[in-house]
Amino acid sequence: MTESPYWNPRHETMARDEIEALQVRKLRNLVGWAADRTGFHAKRFADAGVTPDSIESLEDLRRIPFMTRDEWMEGQLDQPPYGPVLAAPEERAIRYHMTSGTTGRTPIRVLDSMKDWEWIAEMWCYGLWGFGVRPADTVFVAFGYSTFIGFWGLHYASEKMGCLVLPGGAMTTEQRVRTIDEMGATVVCSTPTYALRMAQEAKELGIDLAGGPVRRVILSGEPAGSIPATKQLIEEQWGAKAGDTAGMTELGTIMMFECERQPGGTHVIEDHYIEEVIDPETGEPVPYGEMGERVVTSFGRGFIPVLRYRTRDLVVKVPHDRCDCGRIFDLYDGGIRGRVDDMKLVRGTNVYPRAVEAIIREFKEIDEFQIRLHTAEGIRDEIDILVEIPDASVDPKRILPELQRALADAHEGLRFGIERVEIGSLPRFELKAKRVLDERTVIGTEGERRQ
Amino acid sequence: MGNHELNPGERSLVECYESLKRTLTEYRDDLAPFEERNALKALAALWQVANGLDQDPGQLYDVGA
Repeated sequence: MTESPYWNPRHETMARDEIEALQVRKLRNLVGWAADRTGFHAKRFADAGVTPDSIESLEDLRRIPFMTRDEWMEGQLDQPPYGPVLAAPEERAIRYHMTSGTTGRTPIRVLDSMKDWEWIAEMWCYGLWGFGVRPADTVFVAFGYSTFIGFWGLHYASEKMGCLVLPGGAMTTEQRVRTIDEMGATVVCSTPTYALRMAQEAKELGIDLAGGPVRRVILSGEPAGSIPATKQLIEEQWGAKAGDTAGMTELGTIMMFECERQPGGTHVIEDHYIEEVIDPETGEPVPYGEMGERVVTSFGRGFIPVLRYRTRDLVVKVPHDRCDCGRIFDLYDGGIRGRVDDMKLVRGTNVYPRAVEAIIREFKEIDEFQIRLHTAEGIRDEIDILVEIPDASVDPKRILPELQRALADAHEGLRFGIERVEIGSLPRFELKAKRVLDERTVIGTEGERRQ
Repeated sequence: MGNHELNPGERSLVECYESLKRTLTEYRDDLAPFEERNALKALAALWQVANGLDQDPGQLYDVGA
């Protein structure tokens, strides 16, 4: 069985009706647990007339009210520090984590027990094993090991699988690259942005990553892990297969992973989650192939039950048979496409940072970039792209107009300003990249107007 | 519980989980720290097996894991 391509062959290949029956049974158990142990959920279920016995099919899931980040945060402010969501006594927890705090007034704070942490690692095992990581691998984790949950679960998953783990916390980029090289790492884990940053550092140090032993790069933390041009760049620079994963602090771990077949999307771990895709405006489900917002129900972490949580992530779900790996798990085509809140309205045109990045990454001469929005003449939205082009022999008169044209073609003719800036003048990122600088004083629509 | 039959190895692991859980429920106060804490860690790991084999293993917070 050690040669199985699946971490849990029983679940990953079971018939579709069986996995759905499993989800219904787990949902019934979860509703019972959450209602018994948290007043927060008990009230929500009672108001909606939901009881465990009333859950008979996946359709019944839709009777459960949505859970939002705002109400979670409000609960924390009312009952600090965790809010009314804990289903187990605090003294059963062995670890505290929090969101990176970029959205909202307060970070989401979470607790997990021993069993929860084994489960968190278990989810990463699905992803690592599914992407071809094996016990003989040496895994370098380029991650800051802090209260941000990031790759903690991956670290434990790698240990559980029997890999040799090289923890890459509290190191400079040079130290990390040298460690990867000197220790013969075969698997490297980082954000897509930081994978490119390490590759750049290796080039400066004269280290040939592409000719080295690294065979897998595990990506997480940014949508770029599923942008084809970004992934191709990472694969070329590392001489390794790059696979996307996505997780969130609210769940404690990943909920999707790319398999070895690299089908251009990520499989949802459907024996541990129910993932719905809805229209963010109406809350109604959208069919396969249409973009919508992810709504997640998790069967794993019992300390903080999560039911129908609106993630604000934009995804396009496609059926499992889009991939020929044999898994029964449906996929998100292109991984996470962006955030509902990420969209910028510029002179009436929707601009998604992920789509802009996908175009910029087609230009391999460009090393780093920033999207800058500002207000011109007190009234007009402008969008500029600042780019660093390290190779002095590259003719900017060729590249920059080409980039401008490509961006305009993809955005209903919207004019983008393109500016070449000095090498090293743009910020570099270790975790989630923040490449959008919105300095507008007046924003085009009422909904987007800055306070 | 799921419809799939367990093979002998799987059945043995599930029995192991149930036995360990029972031990920690009934005799926890009699166990030395090294016995109790290592058993809880093992139970947390075996829970993943029972769960992965559709045994509806419930939650372990009241047991201590």
